[in-house]
Amino acid sequence: MKKTFTQKTVTPLMLSLVLAVSACSSTPVTTSTLDQARSDYTAAQNGAVAQHAPNEFKAATEALNAANTAAANREDLSKVDQLASLAKTKIATAQEVARTRLAESSLSSSKQEQERVRLQARTAEAEAARRNAEQAQRDAEAAKARAEQATAATRDAQAQTQALAAQLAELQAKQTERGMVVTLGDVLFNTDQAVLTSGGMSTVQKLANILRENPDRTVLVEGFTDSTGSTAHNLELSQRRAEAVRAALAQMGVERNRVETRGYGEAYPVAGNNTAGDRQLNRRVEIVLSEAGKPIQARR
Amino acid sequence: MSPRLTLPALFASALLLSACASQKAPATADVAVSQAAVENAAQAGAAELAPAELTSAREKFARANQALKERDYKLASELATQAQAEAKLAQSKATSAKATSAADAVQENVRVLREELDRANSANK
Repeated sequence: MKKTFTQKTVTPLMLSLVLAVSACSSTPVTTSTLDQARSDYTAAQNGAVAQHAPNEFKAATEALNAANTAAANREDLSKVDQLASLAKTKIATAQEVARTRLAESSLSSSKQEQERVRLQARTAEAEAARRNAEQAQRDAEAAKARAEQATAATRDAQAQTQALAAQLAELQAKQTERGMVVTLGDVLFNTDQAVLTSGGMSTVQKLANILRENPDRTVLVEGFTDSTGSTAHNLELSQRRAEAVRAALAQMGVERNRVETRGYGEAYPVAGNNTAGDRQLNRRVEIVLSEAGKPIQARR
Repeated sequence: MSPRLTLPALFASALLLSACASQKAPATADVAVSQAAVENAAQAGAAELAPAELTSAREKFARANQALKERDYKLASELATQAQAEAKLAQSKATSAKATSAADAVQENVRVLREELDRANSANK
């Protein structure tokens, strides 16, 4: 075909033919940019951009329509590309505006949430403070009660100590390293017998009162004689006199296990055995009162 | 040129000329609008938050300005339109970045507060 035309006429004719062919083509014109713009637009539609950025979405729609129209009219590819690019930019803008709206609404709900949490925190703080205050109040009351109890206990102990001291003074008790010692003299027993006189009973009664009032104390009852008579008789007499005191105490309500007895006979004299007076001093029963809750040391 | 073609050619030339003259004012306006858009984007922090978009918008704006000087009003208008769209994108990108980070910051703050509250609550139990 070419050969039939002169060189001069070929180019314009060919050009017009190409144009005619392209114009009549039923294939719609598109570009990669337009394809991208369309897919961006679909994504924006699915992302509810129209709802959050209606004005920007409208502008983007118009721009894409313009690009589509240009493509449908088979306009110059660069023109289609340019409109498609514009549409892409506007779709992206609508996306960003929608993103901004979402962020703003998230910010506003987060701020409300923040206020709620702060309020909860303040409530919790107040609650904790109230509980702490109540606990402190309870602690203070408990401490006060303990202090009062301690004061009362001290007062009771002092009163008891004073009462005991007075009672012991009445019994003419003497302080020794083993404890308070009450001495029942010979006159409180019938001569050479293990029977308490009424005076002896009265003294033992006072001792029984002390023991009843001081249940944490025990007594050791030690019997002694002078050197007159046989050692065996003296031992036996001193033991019996000690036992007589225990029996009397038991009668007065003092448990037997709180009373220990020893008969020492003529051992441990407190005076010589030469005069009647001295011998009388040696004939005696000594009652050692323990310290509270402590055992009595044995005689050394 | 054959006499047959003279009239349409003249007509076309006239059309072209009139088109050029009527395009001057809107192109100038478009360029001015795109400049304002670029400035707004820069003020919104786009240089930091949308640097690629802002750079592209500035470059298109410069080219639009150049086209205006060369009296290519059609090109100037097109470039200005593109520059304006890109500047708007840069600005909205910067704005959305700021809004998102503000929302994230408050959300993080809420998370920390809630954690503290939970700790305080469990300590008080």
